[in-house]
Amino acid sequence: MLAWPQLLMLGLLLAPPGEPAIEDLRVSVDGGQVLVGFHLANGLDPETRERIDSGLPTSFLYALELKRDRKHWWDRGLDATVIEVVAMYNAVTREYLVNTKQGGRLIESRTVRDAEELEHAMTVFENFPAFTLEADADNSRFLVRMRVDLGPGAVLGFIPYQRYTDWLESNKVRLRAPEP
Amino acid sequence: MDIRELFAQHRKDGRYVAAALVLVLAVLTLIYYLIQRGRDLPSVLVTNKVLLFVLVYADALLILVILFVLARNLLRLWLERRQRALGARFKTKLVATYVGLSLVPVLLLFFYASELLQGSIDRWFSSSLRSVLEQSSAVAQSLQREIGDRNYREALRVARRMSGLGLEEEAARAELATRLAQWRDESGVAFLGVYLESDFIHAVVDPESGLNDLPEVGRNFLLEAAENGRANRVVLPAGTRGRLILAAAAGAAADGKRRPVVVAGTLLDPITSGQSEELIQSYQTYRQLEVQKRDFAASYWLMFVLVTLLILLASSWAGLFLARRLMLPIQALAEGTRRVASGDLDQQIEVATDDEMATVVESFNSMTQELRRNREEIDRSHRELVAANRGLAEERALVGAILENLAAGVIALGGDGTVLSANAAALGLLAQREEELIGRRLADAWSGSERAPLEKLIATAQEHPREASEVSLVLGGERRTFEVKVSDLRDSGGRGAGKIVVLEDLSDLIKAQKLAAWTEAAQRIAHEIKNPLTPIRLAAERLRVKHRAGDPAVGELLEESVAIIVREVGKMQSLVDEFSRYARMPGPQLAATAIDGLVSEVVALYRDVKPGVAIQTRIAPGIGEIWVDAEQLRRVLINLLDNALEATEPPGDVEVRAERRGERLILEVADVGTGIAAEDREKLFLPFFSRKKRGTGMGLAIVHRIVSDHNGTIRVSENRPRGSVFTLELPAR
Repeated sequence: MLAWPQLLMLGLLLAPPGEPAIEDLRVSVDGGQVLVGFHLANGLDPETRERIDSGLPTSFLYALELKRDRKHWWDRGLDATVIEVVAMYNAVTREYLVNTKQGGRLIESRTVRDAEELEHAMTVFENFPAFTLEADADNSRFLVRMRVDLGPGAVLGFIPYQRYTDWLESNKVRLRAPEP
Repeated sequence: MDIRELFAQHRKDGRYVAAALVLVLAVLTLIYYLIQRGRDLPSVLVTNKVLLFVLVYADALLILVILFVLARNLLRLWLERRQRALGARFKTKLVATYVGLSLVPVLLLFFYASELLQGSIDRWFSSSLRSVLEQSSAVAQSLQREIGDRNYREALRVARRMSGLGLEEEAARAELATRLAQWRDESGVAFLGVYLESDFIHAVVDPESGLNDLPEVGRNFLLEAAENGRANRVVLPAGTRGRLILAAAAGAAADGKRRPVVVAGTLLDPITSGQSEELIQSYQTYRQLEVQKRDFAASYWLMFVLVTLLILLASSWAGLFLARRLMLPIQALAEGTRRVASGDLDQQIEVATDDEMATVVESFNSMTQELRRNREEIDRSHRELVAANRGLAEERALVGAILENLAAGVIALGGDGTVLSANAAALGLLAQREEELIGRRLADAWSGSERAPLEKLIATAQEHPREASEVSLVLGGERRTFEVKVSDLRDSGGRGAGKIVVLEDLSDLIKAQKLAAWTEAAQRIAHEIKNPLTPIRLAAERLRVKHRAGDPAVGELLEESVAIIVREVGKMQSLVDEFSRYARMPGPQLAATAIDGLVSEVVALYRDVKPGVAIQTRIAPGIGEIWVDAEQLRRVLINLLDNALEATEPPGDVEVRAERRGERLILEVADVGTGIAAEDREKLFLPFFSRKKRGTGMGLAIVHRIVSDHNGTIRVSENRPRGSVFTLELPAR
């Protein structure tokens, strides 16, 4: 007879891996820059790891939208950007090249040597300057909404489709702290 | 003209159909070419998701097109079958056959090809191949790893030797430069460098190794080594073709100082480096293909599906087209036949075909035209027939009305003697109800003694139609005399279809005639009696006058008067005797009599009696003997010959004819005299009627009496060109 802890452990082991999802989306303001931090959980599933390790370029597209905190949908959008993270493995040097682009422009390129570093490089962003706001911008509250394009998948093995995470909204912030 | 009109106009044109098939063939050839080329294309391109998207949507589009084409045709077939359209069942079979014949081999080929493809892909990624590539890669990498480990050990040894050297100081650095060259010689590595974390301190290179310059080891590499104590890296130094395998080992840091990092590197020769790299890359390529295996299979499978669907579309469409093309004239013929059967003879089929069906269609059109002409002819005839029938009906109604209003009775007999109709007058005359007469044979309807003579007369008269006969019947105790005339009823072909019997009640006429005759007779008798009475009276009165006057010649006058009186009384006596003889005439004593002999005997009496008037005899052979009263018949002939000779002025002929017609004897005495006035013919056989200066006027009355007593008839008619004919009809038994 298995005890409860053992059953719980077995359940955790047999449970399917979780779906990729954005976690811990945070927004802060530094001067006119909107800094975002987030973490893509379960982004590097075994299939994606296998693909990266085979040397095929593999990318995640982080779509971010800066929005006003308003009721009406037609008057909310302020800005939008796409952060693309592309990873490519070199089996000879045994290094992962991770390029980060924003709006199609390369903003960072780094080499990592192990899987943990790779996952961190591809899925964890801290205080990333995603948007720039004018100093005299409206001081109303705004937020960031984002989702990740995980690349194509296939239904029944041959019908391609694009995999996305759900949209996630951040906390609401102001450009300037309200005056006392 | 827009595209749709052009398509509608040319969609059934064989040339356009052939062009469409050629186009499909060209597309298939292109796809086949692309598949062939696909083997040479980069795997990234073949497994490109965009290509997959295009293929999937092309396949989906083709499936939709095929489903639409099939569904449209199947729906049309279903509707035609539901509406019981002519030819629908045959068309269904034809379409099923064509589509089935195209579907089955194509699908079989598709499944076989899919299996073959899957098998081929599985063989590409066989475990043995993977194992070889993996091992090869592992060997190449272990070579690098081994060299790296050796380099690390050398770097670590150098790092330990350097402990105690203060690298921050210039003096120590000079000493390090001296020792480092020695240590490199001892270790045998191609490159040996010392760094203070990421800052370069000193490095030496084996001039024989092929390194032309100090390699760029990388800041991150150094920091990693400083942080972790160890780091490995492979770089491609500038100016060389071989790989430089680097290993870094961090030494102990002085208090609060940065950690020294020693990097040792071994340069692989280009050949070894290239082979090793190629082994690793091969395995990587294999892994990439393996990762993309499903996409590969999907791409090729979708291409197969595409080709299959194209073939399927072409074959299904061609099958449907052929079925429709074949069925078009048949269906048109069936529909045309149905319409013709329902009466639409204006039906003309217009089907563009140049095969044997064209002959059938042409024959059908000719047939309907001929049918239409015939029908128009029939319609015209029908209209004429209806008009004629209407006329006939009107005529029949008129005749019916006339018949119903006729005083004469008219009876129609069928060929078998059945009474077909009888007008009211006939029923009234014969004192019978309709049901007693109509639909029955005469022999049955008139079987009783009352009407049997009439039936007998009609049966006899059928042999001598159009001749009137008289018959006397006692109906309900009252004697009635009828004139009966029987006529043949003939159909349009002249064949006998029955008889028409016309009955005329002569009873009242005869009564009136008798009354008139007796009045005439009385007048004649009175006249005849008055004629002798006048001389008798005159003689008697003259005698009385002479006697009273005492005329001495009274005796002579007496003699003369008595002679006149005796003579006139004699005349009166003769008159009375004649009348008495007529009244007392005995009934006929029938005996078998040779008619030819009797006629010849009577004719001999009158031969040469009147000069210039010859008596001709024409007696038909085979008359034989007939039961008559010979004496009375002789008297009849004498009377008739006497009258004929008197009426005929010389030169002239009197002809006596005798013949047998069935059961009747016909005797005719014809003269070429002045003839008899029509108004006199009615009174000719009455007693004391005469236009002659001499005679009593009883001769023809006696003739009529004798003939009637023999159940015969006598009539007088005009002789052509002049004169009269007396015709006797007697039963020839």
